Amino acid sequence: MAILTIFTQPQLLLLVGVGTFAGIYIGAIPGLSVTMAVSILISFTFSWDVYPAISLMVGIYMGGVYGGSRTAILLNIPGAPSAIATAMDGYPMAQQGEAGQAIGVTTVMSFFGGLIGILVLAVAAPFVADFAITFQPRDYMLLAVLGILLVGSLSSGSLVKGIFAGALGIAIGAVGRDPLTFAERFTFDLKLMEGGISFIAVMIGMFGVSEALQQLQNVNMKAVRQKIDKIVPSFGTVKKYLPLSLQTSSIGVIIGALPGTGGDIAALMAYDHAKRVTKNPEVPFGKGAMEGLVAPETANNAAVGGAFIPMMTLGIPGDAVTAIMIGALFIHGLNPGPMLMVDQPDMFWFIVGALLMANVFMLIFGLTGIKIFTKIVEMPRSIIIPLILLLSIVGAYAVNNSITDVYWMLGFGVFGYFMRHYGYPLGPVILGVILSRLLDDNWRRAIISEREDLGRFFEGIITSPLSLTLFIAVILIFLSQTPVWTAAKTRLFGKASS
Amino acid sequence: MDPDFRGDSDHHDGTSDATPGGYIEQRRPGELGFSVFLTLASLFLLYNAYGISGFKALSSPGSVPMATTLVMAVSAFIVTLRTSRLSKVAHETLSKDILPVMVILFIGFLVIFGLLLKPLGFVLTAALFLIVAIKVLARKGWGYTLTVALGSLVVIWIVFRVVFTVLLPAGILPEAEFIQFFRNLMSGGAS
Repeated sequence: MAILTIFTQPQLLLLVGVGTFAGIYIGAIPGLSVTMAVSILISFTFSWDVYPAISLMVGIYMGGVYGGSRTAILLNIPGAPSAIATAMDGYPMAQQGEAGQAIGVTTVMSFFGGLIGILVLAVAAPFVADFAITFQPRDYMLLAVLGILLVGSLSSGSLVKGIFAGALGIAIGAVGRDPLTFAERFTFDLKLMEGGISFIAVMIGMFGVSEALQQLQNVNMKAVRQKIDKIVPSFGTVKKYLPLSLQTSSIGVIIGALPGTGGDIAALMAYDHAKRVTKNPEVPFGKGAMEGLVAPETANNAAVGGAFIPMMTLGIPGDAVTAIMIGALFIHGLNPGPMLMVDQPDMFWFIVGALLMANVFMLIFGLTGIKIFTKIVEMPRSIIIPLILLLSIVGAYAVNNSITDVYWMLGFGVFGYFMRHYGYPLGPVILGVILSRLLDDNWRRAIISEREDLGRFFEGIITSPLSLTLFIAVILIFLSQTPVWTAAKTRLFGKASS
Repeated sequence: MDPDFRGDSDHHDGTSDATPGGYIEQRRPGELGFSVFLTLASLFLLYNAYGISGFKALSSPGSVPMATTLVMAVSAFIVTLRTSRLSKVAHETLSKDILPVMVILFIGFLVIFGLLLKPLGFVLTAALFLIVAIKVLARKGWGYTLTVALGSLVVIWIVFRVVFTVLLPAGILPEAEFIQFFRNLMSGGAS
């Protein structure tokens, strides 16, 4: 019955609504990202009860994934990475005077995608959690490595840079006194390092400050206004694209559920799927095809429910935002993973209920208030950037009332700024920081249970089907970046596919 | 969108987080220096990680730090090797495209913000920061700058200090008394 908590408490309902509304605008305003918003928000809500804090964050996440599509359609600037594919056909539609129709269809299809994602989460997660209870420490370790590698390889052109970023994150997470032996790690004999580095300071720096610094180079970018007509789509239009939306929702859920992959990849894969299955689109893809809008938008919202599956059942984040949400749950004394589903099933069902409500709010806010929306999105960056920086400082300071955290945030902000410029993905750093403890603990448990014998450790991997599958997946990711793999792929599928 | 294109996202398509900048076949100004710095820093951290517990046991507290810093050092070295073989991006310079004066200026603003936060307090430091930052970025009159900066500050202060009850340094302003006055006013209004 915990699923109904959200519906029976007006305060929580209001927070989901406020979160979704804010998420739509945060996702839509270029320069503000959901990851940034959720990381800053954690620092303000950590003293709250867990339900209100989660309500707000779930709303922002759901709204933000959808909100990115609006600027993709109106300005050809995806407000969030998950809306990159939406711009390909959404902007041409807006140029042809069909911005209202594009936004309307996008909203309804995002709702369908989101709904399917949440339903799959509700049905599949308990089974995955039951299965996850049988996982060995080495499986958790391999899953953590797999998640970091997947983010590293998929979000950047270079796996090596992704691996570096992930390893850096694990190293940052290891700073401070070891919780098992109390040994100092990377403290350089400094007292202030003994407690470790606040992961919130790292997150706000990497996603808030570095983004704001980068936006300084685009302060004078002007928005191009589009004419917006009727928004609410006809029943016939919705019915026509329903079969495609069901297919692409499935893609979204599956991609979202893979550790480390999120809405952006799901949307691009769904777009590709729509191109392959739509034989005769009314308008060609890239020129304003409705299928090119429906596919990515259903997929990226379906991926939200999908991303919660590994987060809730395994404690492994599906993407950067769920990595931050795991951090939020830690702060509230919860430990995401199979035992959370056993010990506190209410928390899981509460999140499902909050996601459902956020999806409904997204539909309502998506189909209304378009005039205010265009005004807010056109807010000058000369105001937005100083505000982001100010909120980042307040957020970093608020967690421990510490100026040191402000300097950590600034340091990681500047470092993240250079990483962005030189093609290093930031997602793996955050995943590494969050998963560092899990990886470290499970490696040590696994190797102690094998009596410190590496041979026995690998024997254990080979003899367990699950461990072997995960191990092969890790190896395949490495192999996929080698020239041998590229040559083999070219020989098999031809140059075009590579 | 060209799948091979890895240009600076904000110069081109406005995407953020998941799509880092950089070019696959070319090297941006300062990129080689950055990768050399990462390699050296990783080697230093590897040395430091070795100092935690050496090769005492596979389950020792230093095993994961050593493994991760080794991975960092090796991957940073590979990136350095690859980067050194690439040709430079012809139209970019370090001062224009990577570290323009505006970015350096704002990093400076943030450092000063951190230094003044405790002695001056949040409200005054934030007001100074917003006024200077908006003036520099918007290049509009003082009326506009002061209205936007102070208006935003009031909203932020009410939301975070009063609603979220975030503790921020009061500095030289009698903030606690003001909040009490504000609360008395609200409760007086309610009754």
